[in-house]
Amino acid sequence: MYTRSAILLALALALPGAGGVAQMSRTALVKQSDIIFIGTVTQLGAVAVPEVPASARTVVVRVDQVLEKPAAVALATGDSVTVQTLRPGSLKPGTQATFYTTGWVFGRGVAVREVGHEPGRSPVVAAAQQEAVSRARLEVNDADLKAHIQRAAMVVAGRVEQVRPAELTPPAPARPKRITEHDPDWQDAIIQVEDGIKGAQVGEKVVVRFPGSSDVAWVGIPKFAVGQEGTFLLHKDSTTGSPHAMVAGQSVQAYTALHKVDVLSKQDATRVRALIRKP
Amino acid sequence: MRAGVIAAAVGLCVACERPIGQGPTGRLAGVRVVDLIPVSLSGETWQDAEPFLALYASNPKLMAASAFTPNPGGSASATAPIFVSDDGGDSWTLRNTLPSQSMTADITHAVGGNPPVLYAGIMKVPGFPLNELKASDFFSPATMTLQAFRADIDQPFVRTTQVGSADRVYVGLNDFDAPDGRTATVDISLDGGATYASRRIETRGTAGQNGPSIRPAVAPDHTVYVAYFGWRSNAGADVTSDVVVVRDDSGATGATPFRDLVDPSDSLPGRLVATHVTIPWSNAPTLGQERIGSTLAIAVDPLHSDNVYLAWADRVGTGDIYTVHVRRSTDRGATWSGDLRTLTNATDASLAVATNGTTGLLYQQVTGSAPTSRWVTRLEQSRDGFATHQDVILATVPATTPSFQFLPYIGDYNCLLTRGSQFLGIFSANNTPDSANFPQGVVYQRRVDFATHRLLDGSGAPVAVSIDPFFFSLPVLP
Repeated sequence: MYTRSAILLALALALPGAGGVAQMSRTALVKQSDIIFIGTVTQLGAVAVPEVPASARTVVVRVDQVLEKPAAVALATGDSVTVQTLRPGSLKPGTQATFYTTGWVFGRGVAVREVGHEPGRSPVVAAAQQEAVSRARLEVNDADLKAHIQRAAMVVAGRVEQVRPAELTPPAPARPKRITEHDPDWQDAIIQVEDGIKGAQVGEKVVVRFPGSSDVAWVGIPKFAVGQEGTFLLHKDSTTGSPHAMVAGQSVQAYTALHKVDVLSKQDATRVRALIRKP
Repeated sequence: MRAGVIAAAVGLCVACERPIGQGPTGRLAGVRVVDLIPVSLSGETWQDAEPFLALYASNPKLMAASAFTPNPGGSASATAPIFVSDDGGDSWTLRNTLPSQSMTADITHAVGGNPPVLYAGIMKVPGFPLNELKASDFFSPATMTLQAFRADIDQPFVRTTQVGSADRVYVGLNDFDAPDGRTATVDISLDGGATYASRRIETRGTAGQNGPSIRPAVAPDHTVYVAYFGWRSNAGADVTSDVVVVRDDSGATGATPFRDLVDPSDSLPGRLVATHVTIPWSNAPTLGQERIGSTLAIAVDPLHSDNVYLAWADRVGTGDIYTVHVRRSTDRGATWSGDLRTLTNATDASLAVATNGTTGLLYQQVTGSAPTSRWVTRLEQSRDGFATHQDVILATVPATTPSFQFLPYIGDYNCLLTRGSQFLGIFSANNTPDSANFPQGVVYQRRVDFATHRLLDGSGAPVAVSIDPFFFSLPVLP
């Protein structure tokens, strides 16, 4: 796959208007992008919406096919998008390309910043490009997950047996507890290990510390509930300042799982094992 | 664009000024209510709570606004957005220019003098340090410039004024690293944010800290008032607190500012406007799915800085959940009225005083009982210290839907400002496109179908109801 991407990249670089690809692989482009579409340049030094000032770096692109976008974003075939290009003169009117971009301004229309672009070839290739981008996104997600697995001190599949308020013992001198709406309200989830994928044994009980708070500062951070099953990527607690917890009268290492990738479904254990084996 | 922007008609009839207790009838001429979510984000379903607004005095067309709105690019995005308008609030765009991962954990902002600079105080994600920021041109794609930062603070609240060619910036905040538990603090910059000095304003003993809301109000004559909660004891669910106002008559430029208003009971700086009130501290859905415990607002008459208004919320104990009180001083905070307004089960009080002395009070109140309870957003105006007032309902929406995604549900605060003959403000509310929910009319930028009360995404598919920020403006009572 990597070799094929490199070949595609080399081909792309050889084509007119391929400057936006620069030295990045498609996977790298996808990794940095949140709006990806095939489009045709219609105007140079222009904008499609009044909220963005026209400059030598802005071009208007008609969307031929949306390949990826956030659900909230309204963008469809036929829309005109303002693209802030990486550098002036890298595109010409009529050029069809796959644009890898990030959102810039959202108003009556969408304006994006170019991460890079690949020249298109024909409408037939659009389907292939969709597949290629989807494949690259999978590669990005897998690489991201693999990196998380490598950083994790422990990876387990298991079941949450108990959730209790965390008893934190801050190092001396103890700082007075502050009352704030952003208080994480640390909780301990006791997980019974059913599959020790990395650094744990079946039957082991592991303490995972998580913010029980509903405050906006902690939105999106995984929460745990009794009976919850899953595959968990666990990191030694370096967040709370109190890295140990008591289980069955014994002091044990406490862990955290603060990234959304750290909490996966039980079925994801197979994928995790495969990624561990993957060179 | 394909989007169908549906505008409700502007009000045709004029509401009369009414005594307390009477509801409004009809529409008030000149009222605008605008949903900030742009058409290009019509699929948005986030809880865009805790809105804030900044006005550019030198150009009435320019405004900045914020809410707990994430970068549409997702949680890994390196920047968070603000909303900007260049047409006086009729339309808004979202721009990712805040140096915070996807969203902030708190944000307020204000605009300096001329040339106008936008100053923002945010709690940055991740880690939640204070970032004091500036942008000389908020239309620029550049990320706002970091001017100062530190950890362990809460609720930065930004106010500005201009003296000569220099902007003065006042950031009220709760500084957990302040000594002796006297955490009420104002970060003061006299040089446009180039340097800040942290000034402690609590002089009495506390229950280990002050409440989170520290609210400055700045008059053009350089009088600066700051309101805060002097927490005196803490019983867990309830905090016993004083409501305190300090004042500085020279722009807080000295080394020990905010000593110009002394309480007669103990001769210490800081007038005790109310003592031993009960603040219900609940970081859980408590009032219409909202948490409570930090409602506090202050506003000064821009032309007569002797006149200052204060609003806070506590629990009275008569079966209320949370009650807003409004009081006034006409002698620079030395003496205070009793309650001019007492509003049961209300929060998010915000005050502003127009140049003609008319006072505006924005608040959000839960009416009725679940499952039919409603959040009612009102703007009251008074020319006589709320002996009489005009009452305008800006929104009345279900309080039980949508379910909260996080707290705050609609905000620990909202924002009311004034400029010339207008009150301008912002609040967050359920975004169901139902004209009955917006008695003064409403304009959506995002795609909606009023006939079916549905939100629509870019393809015309239905979108779930959520919390959106709404800008509004209405004429000041002459």
